[in-house]
Amino acid sequence: MYAWSDTELAIRDAIRDFVNAEIRPHVDALESGEMPPYPLIRKMFSAFGIDAMMAASVDKQIARDRDPKKEAQGERGSDDAMHLLLSIELCKVSMGLATAMGVSVGLAGGTIMSRGDVEQKERWARDLMTFTKVGAWAITEPNSGSDAFGGMTTTVRPEGDGYVLNGEKTFITNGPFADTAVVYAKLDDGSSDDKRRRPVLTFVLDAGMDGFTQSAPLAKMGIHSSPTGQLFFSDVYLERDRLLGGGGEGASDGRESARSNFTTERVGIAAMSLGVIEECLSLCIDYAKNRELWGQRIGDFQLIQLKIANMEVARQNVQNMVFRTIELRRAGKTPTLAEASAMKYYASQAATEVAMEAVQLFGGNGYMSEYRVEQLARDAKSLMIYAGSNEVQITHVARGLLS
Amino acid sequence: MNIVVCVKQVPDTYEEKKLSDADKTLDRESVEGVMNELDEYAVEEALRLKEAHGGEVTILTMGPEKAVETIRKALSMGADSAVHVVDPALHGSDALATSYALAKALGTIEHDLVILGVESTDARMSVIPAMLAERTGAAQLSFARKVEVDGSTVKIERQTDTGYDVVEAQTPAIVSVVEKINEPRYPSFKGIMAAKKKPLTTLTLADAGIEASNVGLSGSGTSVAEFAARPPKQAGTIVKDEGDGGVKLAEFLASQKII
Repeated sequence: MYAWSDTELAIRDAIRDFVNAEIRPHVDALESGEMPPYPLIRKMFSAFGIDAMMAASVDKQIARDRDPKKEAQGERGSDDAMHLLLSIELCKVSMGLATAMGVSVGLAGGTIMSRGDVEQKERWARDLMTFTKVGAWAITEPNSGSDAFGGMTTTVRPEGDGYVLNGEKTFITNGPFADTAVVYAKLDDGSSDDKRRRPVLTFVLDAGMDGFTQSAPLAKMGIHSSPTGQLFFSDVYLERDRLLGGGGEGASDGRESARSNFTTERVGIAAMSLGVIEECLSLCIDYAKNRELWGQRIGDFQLIQLKIANMEVARQNVQNMVFRTIELRRAGKTPTLAEASAMKYYASQAATEVAMEAVQLFGGNGYMSEYRVEQLARDAKSLMIYAGSNEVQITHVARGLLS
Repeated sequence: MNIVVCVKQVPDTYEEKKLSDADKTLDRESVEGVMNELDEYAVEEALRLKEAHGGEVTILTMGPEKAVETIRKALSMGADSAVHVVDPALHGSDALATSYALAKALGTIEHDLVILGVESTDARMSVIPAMLAERTGAAQLSFARKVEVDGSTVKIERQTDTGYDVVEAQTPAIVSVVEKINEPRYPSFKGIMAAKKKPLTTLTLADAGIEASNVGLSGSGTSVAEFAARPPKQAGTIVKDEGDGGVKLAEFLASQKII
């Protein structure tokens, strides 16, 4: 059975110290949008040496690409534990920060690292992985969320030595401020193929390119410290060296590249959910011990005890999912899409239920921002929707079982 | 420049501290232990001096087994090695006895400079730096808000109520630092992973040449005779302003000898 090692607990404590000293005092400013999340994320990367570690890891990967005989070294599992601990601890205070960081590094940087060639990694991935630059990962469109590929209407048309991109994306984390965007688009080469089945290509765009517009942040229910926006493409000319996964019509289908991200993203949501659950549980235990009604602490009432006990059950289950992920990776395996979807489905729902129950346990105080559980509840709800709605997770779990 | 940083594990400042009924010493088991905040500044200053001038930084801690968590934190910040003086006979040592034990332990470590926080957040005596200087014969540079090293000369800005004095001494010297001196770093992830492999020497009384009769409750020069919980706050006096509020306030302040 896996358990956090002494070193991992020391890392967790260091992150907690940083969160308490550098992030908690600014939560209101972050949530109101008065303070952008990026300088704080950079400060964290620098404080813990994450930037240097990431740069070294990018360099190692590039060296391996250049000389495939070089074997991967080091224990991958310890990196995973570190990233999961970051997600857990950040989500206790500001899920938006974890989202802004995770999308930029894990999805935008991660896609270029897994699909890009050496030049593309040097040109874009190093800056994204070290958080020197902010990245967005754009797949969702106004009419294609969970049906991301079938309903995709953003297109690229081959022209000259490159492509011309048209269309729009929405709900894009970091969209308003991204320096670099990884964008998925359908190939429109004039063939008569069914539009739903046409190849999906993946490109890297830079902010400020002709015809590429980034919207202002959209107003939303929660995760306010993560700016979300729209991207518009109007005849954006893309040189061939911006295409990920090989050139020409033989380029690997972006569907595959996106799907490999789904597993990482969904497993990451279990860690984010654990952060919400642990924070709610800790706040509720403290409140139940100190809040008095009818002359006794509310923790003595069985209805309150039921809420707290259910939160603890959720905490144990979701923590076990996180541990299972680490164990699998240490054994050199990755969870299947069905397994990752099951984790995402359960963990996000558990976090949302726990946070809503926390609001209920706090009563009127819980509905007030000052007591913080209402923010956790609004933030948690996003976990049931993004990275594929929970309804889609269910179909992935079921298909895995029925195939 | 080899530097020793004296680091103490103290009860978490935000937790309620209590004394043990049995021997009237601080109950260290019931509360979370953390690095004395001022010692974090001392570690940071030592690391900065090492980065500028080379040498090694050694952490010296006297305390029970669990103090090793605090030692690991200092190592993960970047210190090179640590010496932990741990022995049941040290339990209950007062400042005088502690300074004796630390001075003995210092004798086992080659060093030019000792850096430590001006006080610990549990005892708040603020006397260990002076006692250590006296016992080791080293120069004392206290309340440093800036430290500069040039060869064997150590120059500090000594914080005062009205500004600062510039004081210098030759090594070996004992430097106590105030929180104004720097902003302590967070341990990097790499540093945390490396800390486990750094040398940590454990010294008992015998290893350090400490006489048992000079430490512990019986070897201390002071003792806690009795203690009581702080009484709850009394209700304040409400002064109603009926045109003479100012006079009443002035009278109250005068009666308290404040004005």
